[in-house]
Amino acid sequence: MRIGAAKATYAADEALFDSATQRCWLGVLFTALVCFPFLANAYWLYLAGLVAINVVSVTGLNILTGYTGLVSLGHAAFLGLGAYTVAILEARAGTNFLLNLVVGGGVATIGGLIVGMPSLRVKGLYLAISTIAALFILQFVFYNWVAVTGGSAGLSVPPARLFGLVLDDSFKFYWVIVPLTVLLLFGAANLFRTRIGRAFIAIRDRDISAEVLGIPLLRYKLMSFGLSSFYAGVAGGLWAYFFRSVTPESFPLLLSIFYLAAVIVGGMGTILGGILGAAFMTLVPELLKLIVGWLPIQGDTLVIISPLRTIAFGALIIGFLIFEPNGLAEIWCRVRRFFHLWPFKT
Amino acid sequence: MSNSFIIRVLQLLGLAAGILSTAATVRAEEEIVIGGSIPITGVFSFAGVNIHAGIGDYVKLVNDQGGVMGRKVRYVYEDTGYKADASVAAFKKLTSQNPVHLYYGDSTAFSKIINPELNRTESILMTGASFATEINDPRKYPYQFMVGPDYQAMFALLLKYIAREKPNATVAFVYSDSEFGRDPIEENKKTVANLGLKLVAEVITPPGSVDVSTEVLKLRRADPDYTIFHGYVLAPIPEFISLARKMGMQSQFMGTFWSMDKNNIMKMGEDADGFLGIMPYRYSDDASADAPMLEKIRQIRPGYQSTTYLQGFVAAMLLLECAKRTLEADQELNAKNLKAAFNSIKNFDTGGIIGVPVTVKSNSIPVGRIYKADLKNGKMVPVSDWLTTE
Repeated sequence: MRIGAAKATYAADEALFDSATQRCWLGVLFTALVCFPFLANAYWLYLAGLVAINVVSVTGLNILTGYTGLVSLGHAAFLGLGAYTVAILEARAGTNFLLNLVVGGGVATIGGLIVGMPSLRVKGLYLAISTIAALFILQFVFYNWVAVTGGSAGLSVPPARLFGLVLDDSFKFYWVIVPLTVLLLFGAANLFRTRIGRAFIAIRDRDISAEVLGIPLLRYKLMSFGLSSFYAGVAGGLWAYFFRSVTPESFPLLLSIFYLAAVIVGGMGTILGGILGAAFMTLVPELLKLIVGWLPIQGDTLVIISPLRTIAFGALIIGFLIFEPNGLAEIWCRVRRFFHLWPFKT
Repeated sequence: MSNSFIIRVLQLLGLAAGILSTAATVRAEEEIVIGGSIPITGVFSFAGVNIHAGIGDYVKLVNDQGGVMGRKVRYVYEDTGYKADASVAAFKKLTSQNPVHLYYGDSTAFSKIINPELNRTESILMTGASFATEINDPRKYPYQFMVGPDYQAMFALLLKYIAREKPNATVAFVYSDSEFGRDPIEENKKTVANLGLKLVAEVITPPGSVDVSTEVLKLRRADPDYTIFHGYVLAPIPEFISLARKMGMQSQFMGTFWSMDKNNIMKMGEDADGFLGIMPYRYSDDASADAPMLEKIRQIRPGYQSTTYLQGFVAAMLLLECAKRTLEADQELNAKNLKAAFNSIKNFDTGGIIGVPVTVKSNSIPVGRIYKADLKNGKMVPVSDWLTTE
């Protein structure tokens, strides 16, 4: 807790940003986000877009796994549902970009509700396996419902249009993708100040106790699956517009594992953890490439040491899990605490 | 310190910066830059490392001979780990930092994703590792081409060979359940019928599967004269052939480009003796007199070079040929002009890497030859002439 930030009301106690310093830093962050596209080149804008999409998706998985304690390895399938829905609507119906994203999220929500049904009976690894089954079933559909999904060749997605503007490059798309991500993050952060969010946390901490306290497990577990899938669907829709091509191979099991790793590395059950985890998993491989590029080596040696990057990335993940099992969010909080209490020891 | 001194220093710094930036611009204008999203790591690294070597060697060869129309060629690349999002990141990074004119992409997924960007910028001509049939469409992919025939054409050439060798033969297709595996299947079911052949089995396996015993049983029941594998590099082809031979099957096994590297086939063991397949290039140890470029490659890198090395080498050769033709016509190096130069390629000599003069068709080089594995002599032996798709 920050020194000298006494709360006089419950509303102040519940506020997302509870001090002037926090609000000031938030202002700095928003200013940086606004200035970024004017200073960054196409490469960094692309990475920013990719991080934003991954943040939305990881936040969705965090709602389910981090906050409700339900492990899912089918997250990529819901991304796929959102992506295909958006691709089909955009290419065949030509409906509004934002409507497509909402419908994409809605279709993924329905998928999530169906896949979440067994969650009342099974949990832990058993639930993880049942969600993998959902992933394979949906992949089968993506491959074989050729008339709708285009089969193995997939679908090409026309660029998004907003108020007559064609969002066909990273710079233009940035102005849609980042505000949407911020909006969805605020939505998720606020969720956990409501009865629903607290019910999710109660289920995660001890589901039997939660039921004794009057929380209907099936309803809330399904709600968690639905919300998580909605985020995944919207992320999938953004993904479709971002990459402009959707194929069944775009949503493999490995993508689900990537998102789960991001949740764990970032910190389960915190919004900040989802953001940091997604940024870490997306940017660290690129940063390692930059570091290798700065080394005074050229030619074939560079080719030989390239695989070391993958090893370094793996070692970093293992290192975080060993030395900070609560994830990057906890490291961030520790650093903040140090400054809050300085010059006293934390 | 007087104000005039400070102003003079600033003026000098400004002048120096101006000279440096002008020099950099001149240098950039005089260069031809090839960018590459190359899978040095990841599941496709076996090919990526060789493709990288092939492109690098050809660029060095050209630069040693004075470049293209006096312009030096620079090859810049980034490792992608064979992930489409990383390939796009590499593309964005390289094109942000360098005036890239030509590009090599590492996968079909990347070719599809980057296509709208190529069409929007109209500044880069791209080729890559993909032989996907979809890309062989100049209307949808106006600024891309492939370094060989597409998968449908490869399959069709194999079927044509079968029809000639054994009319009315029975055929089986074994392919992976992936975009790569499924690519040529539907269209070539029609080709089978048109050539008077009979498709007796269609076996689909998960990509990279190892236990294929049930699939081999299905194949044995059908007992085809010829079995064509597609959508694999190595596994499960050796397992398939080994089990089939143990069950007494006499089927002639065949493959397409990615399963036709000599080193991989030789590793399959004696069951692979006689394995047939299509290859758009000569093998690097082919000492034919009309292949001086292969001799040059052997001088640069003694020993056998994989087919993926040759793919990278020919890709760089064709990209730079397009640049040369564009510059010869005194035109700007942009995607439209470079693609027009590509379309003008007729009877082009690859120095014998492709055994016949090359004429492009759509976005492809529709030429290939059937080779047979001779395990005893450790060679891939041609069993057909160079075949061209209609």
